[in-house]
Amino acid sequence: MNGPIRRVALGVFFCMSLLLVAVTWYQVVRADELRDDPRNPRPALSERGKERGLIVAMDGTVLARSVEDPETRSFVREYPEGQAFAHLVGYSSFLIGNSGLEAAYAGDLRSRRDLTISDLVAAILGTDLRPKSIEVTADPELQRAAQSILGGNRGAVVALDPSTGAVLASVSNPSFDPELLLGDDAANQWEMLLTEDGEPTRDRATLELYAPGSTFKTVVSAAALDTGTAGPGSTFDDPVEFQLPGSDATISNAWRGTCNDGNSATMLQAFVRSCNTIFADLAIQLGAADIGITAEALGFNQDIEYEWEVPESVWNTAELANDPAALGQSGIGERDVRATPLQMAMVAAAVANDGVAVRPYAVRRIFDADGETVEETEVSELGRAMTSETAVTLTQMMERVVTEGTGTRAAVPGVRVAGKTGTATGTGGFSNPWFIGFAPVDDPSIAIAVFIEGSAASGESAGGGSVAAPIASELIQVWLAS
Amino acid sequence: MGRTSEGATIVAASFLAAFGVALVNFAQGGSVDAQTGLTFLVFLLTFGTLYAAVRAFAPRATPLLIPPVVALVGLGFFEIYRLSPELAGLQRWWMVIAAGVASVVLLLLSKATTSVLRRYRNLILIVTVGLLLLPNLPSGWGFPLKGLEVNGSRLWIVLDLGFTEMQFQPAELAKLGMVIFFAAYLADHQKALREAHRRIGPIRLPEPRQLIPLVLAWGGSLFILVWQRDLGASLLMFAGFVLLLYAATGATGYLVAGGLMTLTGAAAATVLFDHVQRRITAWIAPFEHYQDEGFQIAQGIFALGTGSLSGAGPGLGRPDLIPNASTDFIFAAVGEEIGFAGTVAVLAIYALVVSVGLGISFRSRDTFRKLLAAGLTFVMAVQVFLIIGGVLRIVPLTGITLPFMSYGGSALVGNMVLIALLLRISHEEAA
Repeated sequence: MNGPIRRVALGVFFCMSLLLVAVTWYQVVRADELRDDPRNPRPALSERGKERGLIVAMDGTVLARSVEDPETRSFVREYPEGQAFAHLVGYSSFLIGNSGLEAAYAGDLRSRRDLTISDLVAAILGTDLRPKSIEVTADPELQRAAQSILGGNRGAVVALDPSTGAVLASVSNPSFDPELLLGDDAANQWEMLLTEDGEPTRDRATLELYAPGSTFKTVVSAAALDTGTAGPGSTFDDPVEFQLPGSDATISNAWRGTCNDGNSATMLQAFVRSCNTIFADLAIQLGAADIGITAEALGFNQDIEYEWEVPESVWNTAELANDPAALGQSGIGERDVRATPLQMAMVAAAVANDGVAVRPYAVRRIFDADGETVEETEVSELGRAMTSETAVTLTQMMERVVTEGTGTRAAVPGVRVAGKTGTATGTGGFSNPWFIGFAPVDDPSIAIAVFIEGSAASGESAGGGSVAAPIASELIQVWLAS
Repeated sequence: MGRTSEGATIVAASFLAAFGVALVNFAQGGSVDAQTGLTFLVFLLTFGTLYAAVRAFAPRATPLLIPPVVALVGLGFFEIYRLSPELAGLQRWWMVIAAGVASVVLLLLSKATTSVLRRYRNLILIVTVGLLLLPNLPSGWGFPLKGLEVNGSRLWIVLDLGFTEMQFQPAELAKLGMVIFFAAYLADHQKALREAHRRIGPIRLPEPRQLIPLVLAWGGSLFILVWQRDLGASLLMFAGFVLLLYAATGATGYLVAGGLMTLTGAAAATVLFDHVQRRITAWIAPFEHYQDEGFQIAQGIFALGTGSLSGAGPGLGRPDLIPNASTDFIFAAVGEEIGFAGTVAVLAIYALVVSVGLGISFRSRDTFRKLLAAGLTFVMAVQVFLIIGGVLRIVPLTGITLPFMSYGGSALVGNMVLIALLLRISHEEAA
């Protein structure tokens, strides 16, 4: 009988060693990752009342600071810029956890003066225990302007420096006051924010995926130019409705008419007027794979290394390769194509940057309590997304959109602006207006994506040209003035 | 290790528990108060009583069993104290009661020896089934003994003594009754069960009629699952029986059949019952269901990860964020505050207790005592694996307590009696 008992015993000890493996997995291998998980409130809880580093803009504007209460000698976090930076800077709440840059740089911003054994050893070895601070690339003026101009709209603005990828603005609207989440009633406040109209805690700029609509025609055009499939002067049939192959469905233009004269239209005309009929046709001629190569070089289907984990924008080559009807719909940025406003700003930035896509970042440097730089962000290229010639041609096409096409309201007096409008199908009969673009054309210093979710207006007035383009125009002016 | 060093180790382990309480006090209030001394005294009283009972009624018992148990109770106790000084106060009373009951068990068995358990196995079975049915008593009637429903499970009885109410989970004692009955039954029928089987290829299959006890046990555990919604006790009882059946017969077929029956029961329960389904969901994807089903498991894992190598320190972590930290999730709470060092120590101590228990079984010459020692150890080991494995996402969470460490009077009494039985067997077999 000892035989079977011994075998069960072996099983029991095998199971116990499984427990040992699992506990090693959580407490050793993945410990840091679990500690820093934004949903884990423990680090923030243990930080309660402790000093945290500064978060400042490059012009010195304070975005987050810790102020000491002289009576209790504990620190309270303040966010002087409030709502405008609520999603980018985030919050550090002992009850709700950390978010935004407060979460991404939690390890640098925290004070190490809390006498754990490892910190004590570090102090003896000469490590600086004071909290470090970070400098943010976003321009407070542009950020505030973007927040106020979005006003009552749900939406997002992302602006990038096209040559470096530095975030000049990243705004999501509606927003909230991060200081609401610092007190003892943070849990209630959080519950209220979650149920509030417009879901202000969602970061629409970097964490939500939307159909990019006609702004995606820039990607399709880049692929067409790169592969030589079509040029600005290439002509296409110009029907009122484009019949999707192998399907009963058709694609028509926003005004339910022909693109040009009903006989033929050029790619340039189609781009400037944003003709769905012709871009559906073009996308099918190009094929899913060729569009996919350009889209992926621009960041689609890639795990973009941003300050925090961002969702992958989607172009599904494999599925579209065998479904020309779906490909036609996807060619105009509908159906299953998805992108974050951050991704669409990257598309505009790549065109502006001579065809080279750059990794976006929002923190320029980390510095210590003496102001010495500890770590500086290096600009890193994602790679060439389109040839230099393609970028030049596409820029000319995008400039025509602003001078005479759907995006005239993005124009800025005295400045050459290039761009593309979009009006994606939203939920519940609403449309989602877009505008992406950059300026000045000769030496671009800003690439921008404006996205409005569920525009209340309908018909022509709800389009990207009338809703999103004017916002871009104003923000470009604010940027160039500063 | 002799009796004297056993006593010294018990004092040392009691000191450890008191030291844990002192550290918690120091971390939270900055001072060390009377709780520390009280804890030390209660530990000395509790385990001193048990130690004295062993010296008196089972003097040849192994000295290796009580010290690790004191260490486990101590590690659990300081964490319960950290989570709720109030619960810790109650737990101290339960410790004294548990030691008393275990000592009485040792006293009674010193006259009758464990063979009495074998002789009255059918009576024990009836009492056990009665115990299991108690929570199904109505909650609203006038009789002072009532059933109680907590979190959708009927596991509790309330004894209304007029001046106070006592709550008890009879399954914790029924567990022991079941093992005693299984061991006695299998010892009596071992031969028949072992020899009646057919061979099909490499697997030995039992004769159909020999499967009847297996089917009955399965039915019984399903009954517990359906009527009392106690997933843990149900699984524990069936696993204990199957392992013991295999130990008695060596027929692999029983393991296979038992495994298949467990899977069938589990699959059916998943389809039929919401509460089982929720546990499966929480097991597979706790972080995807962070806001609801998965919250507890996710918090447990965050607690372990944040605890990392050396832990936050007693009283310095936030194990109070985990729902049911003092019962089901005591392992995660300990892991947060004393870290990987602490969790490895806990696992090592359980491994020691299990080894000692199995050692007692190996050395037993009497079939019943051999099976009883093995059965008691198996049930404890399975329970440790199910609950820690549940916290660590190896198996779905079954909602049973961690022996010796979790808060809970019934569990403490049941497990101390289990230790008393093992001690008594080791005494009887050490001729």
